[in-house]
Amino acid sequence: MTHAGPAIELDRAGRTFGDRVALRPLDLAIPPGEIFGLLGPNGSGKTTTLRILATLIRPTTGTARILGHDVVTAAMDVRRRVGVMPEKPSLYERLTVRDNLVFWADAHTLPDTRAAIASALAFVGLEARADDRVGQLSKGWRQRVALARAIVHRPRVLLLDEPSSGLDPSAAAAMERMIRALVADGATVLMNTHRLAEAERICDRVAILRHGELLELGTPRQLRARLLGNVVNVELAGPPTLPVRRAVEATPAISDVRWLPGGFACRLEDADRDTPALIAGLVHAEAQIVSVVQAGDLESAYLELMARTAREDELEAAA
Amino acid sequence: MTAFTVAPSVRALIRKELREYRHHRMILMTATVLPIVFLLLPIANLALFDPERSIGGVNLAVGQAMFCFFLCPVIIPATMSAFAVIGERDQGTLEPLLTLPLSDSQFLAGKVLAIVGPTTAASFAIYLAYMSVVVAVAQEPVRSAALDWTWPFGFLLLAPVLALFSTLTGMAFSARARDIRVAEHLSGLVLLPAMLPVMLVVTRTIEPSVLSWGAFSAVVAALDFAIWRLALRAFDRERAISTA
Ligand SMILES: Nc1ncnc2c1ncn2[C@@H]1O[C@H](COP(=O)(O)OP(=O)(O)OP(=O)(O)O)[C@@H](O)[C@H]1O
Ligand SMILES: [Mg+2]
Repeated sequence: MTHAGPAIELDRAGRTFGDRVALRPLDLAIPPGEIFGLLGPNGSGKTTTLRILATLIRPTTGTARILGHDVVTAAMDVRRRVGVMPEKPSLYERLTVRDNLVFWADAHTLPDTRAAIASALAFVGLEARADDRVGQLSKGWRQRVALARAIVHRPRVLLLDEPSSGLDPSAAAAMERMIRALVADGATVLMNTHRLAEAERICDRVAILRHGELLELGTPRQLRARLLGNVVNVELAGPPTLPVRRAVEATPAISDVRWLPGGFACRLEDADRDTPALIAGLVHAEAQIVSVVQAGDLESAYLELMARTAREDELEAAA
Repeated sequence: MTAFTVAPSVRALIRKELREYRHHRMILMTATVLPIVFLLLPIANLALFDPERSIGGVNLAVGQAMFCFFLCPVIIPATMSAFAVIGERDQGTLEPLLTLPLSDSQFLAGKVLAIVGPTTAASFAIYLAYMSVVVAVAQEPVRSAALDWTWPFGFLLLAPVLALFSTLTGMAFSARARDIRVAEHLSGLVLLPAMLPVMLVVTRTIEPSVLSWGAFSAVVAALDFAIWRLALRAFDRERAISTA
């Protein structure tokens, strides 16, 4: 049963619709237990990628596998192992929450349908609304039903298309918690999102697509560092002593140190790699560190990337 | 066609469909009001019948009654099959539905059986009710004409294959049609020729017999099989979700 390789694997998988390229051949390997975020502007190919993995559309080039099962040649094996939350909640509105889940659990021919439904309902906190018609629920509750439906058969791989879109901040936070809990329980998650702060909080790695093309791939930190430079801001209590200044200057791979009231900003060659050494030096020099923060967030990095690619497009168009 | 052992996932789909019908006013109306009308019309027809009429007249009256019963498995599926496809599409449920572990033929079988089963059952039920009324109150010569065994024989044989025909064509049309009403009208047109054999027997152009009913049922069953194969081949998951 257990599969050794990546949980989700795209191998030059691409998709065109007539002349329109929805997804350029994409290579991606997502190990088990990872939360992977697909980011990108509208129409960049995120849903197309998810649909290929959910066996809804076939790739026109390359292959894709879920837990080693090919999405085209072993579609049924894939369907049994994935839980899908589509872009729209897409529930049977005339049926109750429970009946929506009963159908899903039955269709997956689970050994103990009742227990599976009860635990899915409990997981998303919907026990009290279980016998309400879905049509009467608000958007936030529907999203929960859609998540409950996606997990009722305890899939090892979850494909979530904008799971928190349209949710209020606390509902979105609840969705985040639930996704984390699922991964803690052993699932692998591929999710599309436009909420960059959310992606930064919960995704182990993200990919940024644009016009169906992969622009960036890495941890949110790596992307921040790559796109925004490795600027680190250090806040100190009290003016820096001479040993502190010396320790800073002596940090390997440091440059552009700017002393400011209450601390300093500097550039490191690789913020992730070099920050520990910087902090160690500061501690050794008995600096009173209040905070050490990498500058910028995923959102600024994303916007920087989009601005950069837009400039490149303009130059290309001009040439 | 699928074997008589229905896969559990297909049964799940059938149960879901039946649950949805229960909460759909138009389906409920069609599935309850129509059979009642089709039961009351023939009974009224027989009740008002003048027993002094010729044997030809008796046969015609019984035939008219039978025509009503045969309409039941043909008309009811038209409404239900349109809903079976367009209902999913309008709710946007087709996309998640297609991520379930069901093969193309299992989807189609589930959808079709959920319509053919209840429709056939309702048709048999009203026919049985009519027969009971005949046994209880009808006078000769109407009584023996109505109880002539070739009628129930023909009905038992033909009603299910007609229901299947009506369901399959209805679903084929609704898969293409944008609007539920257009789909219903279009499939209504196809269903007229399906009633042709029944009309021939009812008007005694052809005598009701094991042979004639058997032949008609065989022809409709062959058509059913052909449409099933066509429908399976035309089933296109990608197009289904991209027009959703
Ligand atoms: N069935 C289809 N037929 C034709 N073109 C399609 C189809 N599905 C998607 N596309 C096109 O493929 C491209 C990528 O679409 P996709 O839905 O994957 O984008 P997305 O990244 O999910 O966007 P959003 O953020 O708006 O959800 C778009 O240009 C879209 O118009
Ligand atoms: Mg999308």
